[in-house]
Amino acid sequence: MSYLAIAMDIGTSGIRAQAVNLTGQEIISTVITARHPLPGANVIDHLHFALEIGVSAAHDILLQSINLMIDRLGIESTDVCRLAVCGNPIQLSLFQGIEIRDLAFAGKRKQQSLAIEVPKREALITHANMIQGLNLPDLCEVIIPPAVEHEIGADALAMIIQSNMQDTAETALITDYGTNAEMALIHQGRIYSGSTAAGPALEGQQISSGMLATPGAIVDLVSEPPYHRLMVLNDDMQIVKGALVDITKGDIIDASSEYQAIGLTGTGTIATIFQAIVAGLIKKPHIMTHDHQLNLGEEIRFTEKDFIEAGKAIGSVRSGHITLCHEAGISASEITTVYMSGASGTYMDALKAQKLGMFPAHVKKVYQIGNTSLAMARDLLFAPDKLEEMNRLAKHLKQYHCMFATSPIFKKVFMLELSFWTEGMPLTLYQRFLRKYGLPELDQDFSQPEIIHTVEQDINDMGKQGLITLTDIGQKLVTQMQGCVACHTCVNECPETALHISFNQGLAYMNLDQSLCDGVACRRCERVCQDQVFHFNQFFKGHE
Amino acid sequence: MKLIDSMAYSSSEEMMFGFAKYPVTTRSGLVIGGGAVIPEVVTHPRPGKEHDLKTLARELERANTDAMQRCVSIGHPSIVIENEHVFQMTNNPEWGAEISAQSAHKISDFKQKYGLNAAYRSTIADIRKPDMINLRDSERTEKVLESFKNCAKTADILSIESLGGKEVFDYSIIRNDITGLLFSQAVLGGRDMQWLWPQIVEIANENGCVPGGDTDCAQANTAMFMAGGFDAKDIPHTLAALSRAIGASRTLVAYECGALGPGKDCAYENPIIKAIAGIPISTEGKSSACAHSDLCGNVIAAVCDLWSNEAVQYQNMFGGSSAAVFTEILGYDTAAMNSSIMLGFEKQYQACLVNSDRYRDPQAFILCPDNAWAIGKAITDNADSLYARGRAAAIKCGELILADPELRLTTIEKKSLLAYMAEMETLPEDEDNFIDFCLNKYRKVKGFNPAAYGL
Amino acid sequence: MTDSKNTNNIFTRFDITAEEEEHAARIISSDSILQKVGECIIEGNEELIEQVVREALKTKSPLEVTNAGLIAGMKEVSRLWAEGSYFLPQVILSSDAMVAGIAVCEQKFGKPMEKKAKVITHTAEGDIHDIGQVIVNALLNANGFEVINLGCDVPVDEVVNACISHKPVLVTGTALMTTTMSAFPRIAEKLIKSDLEIPFVCGGGAVTEEYVNSFDLGIWGKEASQAPGMADDALKGLSWIELRKKWNG
Repeated sequence: MSYLAIAMDIGTSGIRAQAVNLTGQEIISTVITARHPLPGANVIDHLHFALEIGVSAAHDILLQSINLMIDRLGIESTDVCRLAVCGNPIQLSLFQGIEIRDLAFAGKRKQQSLAIEVPKREALITHANMIQGLNLPDLCEVIIPPAVEHEIGADALAMIIQSNMQDTAETALITDYGTNAEMALIHQGRIYSGSTAAGPALEGQQISSGMLATPGAIVDLVSEPPYHRLMVLNDDMQIVKGALVDITKGDIIDASSEYQAIGLTGTGTIATIFQAIVAGLIKKPHIMTHDHQLNLGEEIRFTEKDFIEAGKAIGSVRSGHITLCHEAGISASEITTVYMSGASGTYMDALKAQKLGMFPAHVKKVYQIGNTSLAMARDLLFAPDKLEEMNRLAKHLKQYHCMFATSPIFKKVFMLELSFWTEGMPLTLYQRFLRKYGLPELDQDFSQPEIIHTVEQDINDMGKQGLITLTDIGQKLVTQMQGCVACHTCVNECPETALHISFNQGLAYMNLDQSLCDGVACRRCERVCQDQVFHFNQFFKGHE
Repeated sequence: MKLIDSMAYSSSEEMMFGFAKYPVTTRSGLVIGGGAVIPEVVTHPRPGKEHDLKTLARELERANTDAMQRCVSIGHPSIVIENEHVFQMTNNPEWGAEISAQSAHKISDFKQKYGLNAAYRSTIADIRKPDMINLRDSERTEKVLESFKNCAKTADILSIESLGGKEVFDYSIIRNDITGLLFSQAVLGGRDMQWLWPQIVEIANENGCVPGGDTDCAQANTAMFMAGGFDAKDIPHTLAALSRAIGASRTLVAYECGALGPGKDCAYENPIIKAIAGIPISTEGKSSACAHSDLCGNVIAAVCDLWSNEAVQYQNMFGGSSAAVFTEILGYDTAAMNSSIMLGFEKQYQACLVNSDRYRDPQAFILCPDNAWAIGKAITDNADSLYARGRAAAIKCGELILADPELRLTTIEKKSLLAYMAEMETLPEDEDNFIDFCLNKYRKVKGFNPAAYGL
Repeated sequence: MTDSKNTNNIFTRFDITAEEEEHAARIISSDSILQKVGECIIEGNEELIEQVVREALKTKSPLEVTNAGLIAGMKEVSRLWAEGSYFLPQVILSSDAMVAGIAVCEQKFGKPMEKKAKVITHTAEGDIHDIGQVIVNALLNANGFEVINLGCDVPVDEVVNACISHKPVLVTGTALMTTTMSAFPRIAEKLIKSDLEIPFVCGGGAVTEEYVNSFDLGIWGKEASQAPGMADDALKGLSWIELRKKWNG
């Protein structure tokens, strides 16, 4: 009798899966990937890939990785009776293998001109044999939660439900500090949601020395005057002490550390900016060191360009908050409780985030909750009727969801944020503009909130078999480009070193690690080919 | 050690380029500060030429010969040639020795053949990096002293650009910390020089060589470079000016230990030093643009005895090698200055030099002879301790800047200066208290080892 | 020391002059009425501008009010922005005020005021993130261009048709998502087919220099603030090739 189940969070930066024993109600093992298998650096790239190469090609690649993960969970897949997934609408649609063009083209005109039939994306319980290529027993249940709008879906619902914010009568704000910062404000029983393309800086991407929250990532910077201590994630994803550095020069003052730092995550970025501001090293948008960057030792740096990326991300989150408050007819000072979710939410130092304006200044409580998507998927395994709750919530959100891209308030405030972070506009002027726009001023009276960590790490319980991180989930694709003379220009040009050339019987074969590849938006390889014989789409011809 | 408490010159009116109260004569017979300005050409090897002695020696031989040959071509009567040791020349003391000997030999050749009057200055590299080793006790320290001993045998003048205090300075300048500047320059830098210079003077005297002088290049020039020009917005120029004034209290130590001058070219604080100690000085300004930019290109020549180009890499230009080209430029500069002396127009010429830069920038303003003298007076009036005179120099410098409305400051510069002045007011009067305070404040600065300064 | 008051030929304190320009009363015109108009622009006062312009039109011609008041005021705003005293939101406010002021002048004049040239702006088909375009519109307006704003989510053919009928000196496109920017090369292709070699400036979050330079007519717009400069160059007669050479790579 099958008694095993799998919960899966299909995120933009990677997939997280857990095997669960339904009868014993315990977690057995956890597998996470270091990156997403699809070529591309963000969810739009994935979408773009699907558009260009085909939904079925994208679906196949995704499922290949999912199957590999199921295999590595160390369980008998024949004993799996249920799979619950969670993620944003794009990832879930790719998983299902359904229409995604409406997600790519937010504008209604384009949707109409393409005569796209927009799928309902409601909650669904189906079977594994309905998901093409899924390596689970045919009749294994597959639970897919609903979406809300194209830009906000099951992961946002998960965030709201898992936080239990609806149980409170207080005015509360929840944010998933990621690439598509989803957020929701609850006030007098109504939930106002929104999602802003904050940019990947908050997840450590598009930052020079950026990386995702995986072992070796700097997640915090603590001051040990006059220097700073790096706080790094170890192999078990716990925060341990790294080296002591002089951020003005990058000198390592004390190299004895519990784990070697490799790069900077989004939360590390926040900490670095905070510490630099405190040390008087930032005159927005300039970094006032000899080399105009902050150096965290061992070639890990934070440049002025990085600062601007991060500033735009922080600015868009705050713009979203201000917009939601406006929608609810309140001022930010009325918010008493704040929830921070997602990896960024878990590892971020809440007080530093507060000072940078990532949530309102005057809150009483801050809850740092872990990965809610995975937790939601797990809940669905044990209680599939929770889908009803998700459906109800989705309906509610549809009513009050605010589309930031078209909101005049959001645009106005974001313009102020852009100016604040990238031009160095002073706060006083920012406040003046807010007044001019009829919005409440930014509260600068910082409280000392109570900080509650509901989990110790992003994924709290790894199960008795522990955690496996798959760094190599990318399929290696090989093709022979006619006319290729192996000049290696494409190999050298690739910003992710995803290409290499191999030889067989005197012919040059092009090899692509698709999980490293930046996808169809990049295509540098194709453009620099001296003889124009490189055709990117050819790698994926097998999937047509 | 007794600190100087009287001025060699009773007013700046007495100070003039080409003339020093206490001229110096080198063993090669060159008189410096005795009535004429002499060019000082500094040549530097191209990168890659330092990998072995033979290549390096050949490079510098060619450069130094080019310089002397150009003197002959154009008719410059005298020249000082300086080589600042690249790391390898001091780290391998026999290298510096060989090159010094070779250069001295070349000089005597040219003297014999053409009657050219020349002298050679050997500037030992201070390879004692404060953040790496104990300044007073390390293998590198030994190498430095050994290099002095070797070069003293053949060079005419010995110098060094000592690094004492640099580790705390680097930490402080970027944090806009005037207290740190006072500690690192006046106290730490001064103390290191008090330890080092008596040894240099002894070596020089034993060998019939002139113990020239030192410079606060490692600190005050760093501040000057970071301050940049009018289009830079990093370090305020007023802070660089204060650093310069404090630097004078540090550089003075060499002369208190028995150094005789000529002072090192890159010590922009030299006008202040000359006012106090009366020694001949080398300065660099507009004709050292090949090495770096500054805002006092003309005024810095007002009381110089040697006129230098700081450093130029040996390479080809349309007009010949860079060594030759800059020799010609410096030679004509000095010929003009010396002409003014001959015609009795030196006061007017000096006034022109001063006028060019007096109100260009605070850093230039305080190096005008009258202001330099005033700062020197403040130093000698506060000879209780290195700290006291450093602080007095900085305060006097600030007061001078604020007192002259014709010296215009941007709002930020003025605000910054007032803040530094206010901070200095709050500091302890007594050096021991100040040192205790700083030992605590800067205890964790990387590489700072109080024992290296005898603290 | 000798009198050194007149140092004009000896040195110029560029740091002081920069600061002075900042503090100087922002003089637009010696005429007090036009000065008032200019000040309204500098303050970005959209509410007051119409009243002030109407008042000015009582004694001055629309052309004069536009050139010596509105445009002169906007020039000062641009200068303040270039030196870092003014920030983007202020520039946009001023631009809005200027547009409102010009509308009043045009009413009096009876016909549209002469602008430098036409520029068509749009946000790509399927894309609704138009903040970049908002900034470009404001800056082009502020610099005397007639902006034909097609809005967002604009089909390829609509852009091309607008170019055919208006024959602008420049056309711009903004896209935040890589999925939507694929419209740009299609627009460029159609423009070329219609014999319109109009420089096509593309910018926005996802848009990269390499992508835009991979098709003819494409010039990468790194920052919205470059738009007026590019438009001026296009007006001068620079081809898309020359514009790309100057502004990209």
